[in-house]
Amino acid sequence: MTSVGPAIEIQGVYTAYEGAERPTLTDVSLTIGRGEYVVIGGPNGAGKTTLLETINGMLPITHGNALVCGHNVRGNGVQVRCRVGYLLQNFSFDPLTPFTVEEVVMMGRFGKMGLFRKPGKEDHDAVKKALALLEIEDLADRPIGHLSGGQQQKVLLAQNLARDPEILLLDEPFSNLDMFAREAINRLLTRLVIDGITVIIVSHAFDDLPDRPVRVLVMQEGKIALDRECSPGEVEQVIRNAGNGTRNA
Amino acid sequence: MLEFLIPNNIVCHAVEAMLFASVACAVLGVIITQIQISSIGFTMAHAAFAGAAVGMFLSLNSTICAIIAGVCVAFLIGPLSDKARVSADTALGLLFGISMAVAIFFIAYMQTLGKGFSAMGLLFGDVISLYREEIYLLAIICVVAVVFVVVLYKEITGIIFNKKIAESVGIRVKPVYYAMLFVIALTVALCIPIIGGLLLYVWLVTPAAIALQFCYRLSAMFVVAPLVAAAISVSGALAGLEYSLPVAPLTAVLLSLVFIIAVVISPKRRITFRKS
Ligand SMILES: Nc1ncnc2c1ncn2[C@@H]1O[C@H](COP(=O)(O)OP(=O)(O)O)[C@@H](O)[C@H]1O
Ligand SMILES: [Mg+2]
Repeated sequence: MTSVGPAIEIQGVYTAYEGAERPTLTDVSLTIGRGEYVVIGGPNGAGKTTLLETINGMLPITHGNALVCGHNVRGNGVQVRCRVGYLLQNFSFDPLTPFTVEEVVMMGRFGKMGLFRKPGKEDHDAVKKALALLEIEDLADRPIGHLSGGQQQKVLLAQNLARDPEILLLDEPFSNLDMFAREAINRLLTRLVIDGITVIIVSHAFDDLPDRPVRVLVMQEGKIALDRECSPGEVEQVIRNAGNGTRNA
Repeated sequence: MLEFLIPNNIVCHAVEAMLFASVACAVLGVIITQIQISSIGFTMAHAAFAGAAVGMFLSLNSTICAIIAGVCVAFLIGPLSDKARVSADTALGLLFGISMAVAIFFIAYMQTLGKGFSAMGLLFGDVISLYREEIYLLAIICVVAVVFVVVLYKEITGIIFNKKIAESVGIRVKPVYYAMLFVIALTVALCIPIIGGLLLYVWLVTPAAIALQFCYRLSAMFVVAPLVAAAISVSGALAGLEYSLPVAPLTAVLLSLVFIIAVVISPKRRITFRKS
């Protein structure tokens, strides 16, 4: 069941890491509609990951308001995360990790299923579908630690798709993927956007963007320095220019 | 409870105690070793041990004092450990040191007062002078540990897989994590009189480590670890009483021996591929 209104509505949000002296995000406001494809660029340490984790309620918002999928993120983090997929940056699992690919993908639905419930038919079907979307059905019974970095990344993406998210947050998802996998995932993301899912992707690879207008956000020092729509071919230049702009200023 | 199998009352109680304690510790041990919070388990065990020693010295109920100390430590180190700060390691080291100092101080002091015999029980365990109520308590905590894992299995596996990913899929990581520490603290406190504060760690870690040598799946580990622990502990109790050897230390040695054998024959360390 999808809620009405924009996917994300953030107003004057400050996010601080515990123990930090200054907030990492300062006064960020942002509205993202359903089915938008958003690319977030900006230098290392600009606050891209922090913005994603603010959106799904994993980091505490100290000031301001954030509404995601119709839920106030403050106080409803769990409800938000049941509707929002989040592929974390740079993950890898050691060979002894005692989980198979199928188990890892099923885990994506654990929050949604709620306490005390065991996976049912609906959950198993969703897992099958997610494995099929990423074309990794043949890996289902393999221990996740025995896969390559790129394969592990696909498994984690499948985990996020398994809970039918309304929003998908991807933090540098292409870092471990080969050319073919990147193309395949981009086709997949394009399809998701057409189906009305909001895709927000932090990336430095711009050669495989979907063939449709893309919204570009550039982050700098915890603020959104630039926010505009452009064609996929222009994205790299736009992000470059934004970087130069502030450096010269 | 097992009188129909073992007519001798002392032997029967010892076997029951070892059975319940080993199953509870092994089940929780799988969680402890997989989340890699052995140092927390270790510190909790020693805090409970110190609590028991203080309780015994003050002629209070030492089990209740052990529970209080274990639970206090669980809630002291919980916030530190779930932030994964470097200082958690130091804090655990400090707590561990304090616990040992307190425990040894009171045990040594009790020895000068002539209460040494029961104090030694806290160190190395004592399966002979148990009350029936203590065995019922152990049976209860054993059931609690198993039910806890069965009921919160999804959430526990998520946390074992990766705490951050578990949080990102919408699992309520914090309450489950604290409940887990609480159950561990209770179990540890109740097992100290049987297994002893110094040896408890063997039961928390070794059965899970043995299971890991053979299991590729977590679900299998949760079955294999308590079975192995129960089999070895019951054998240890029977053998120890038969040949008048100290039961808990003997069983700890047996567990460690089985671990070494498991490592040697583990299929995980073998390369099975053959070029045909
Ligand atoms: N766990 C943390 N504690 C304190 N500060 C952090 C933490 N993680 C990141 N930061 C700080 O927040 C800022 C933004 O980080 P991040 O959002 O990860 O940047 P990026 O744009 O590279 O993803 C950085 O300056 C970093 O130092
Ligand atoms: Mg980042």
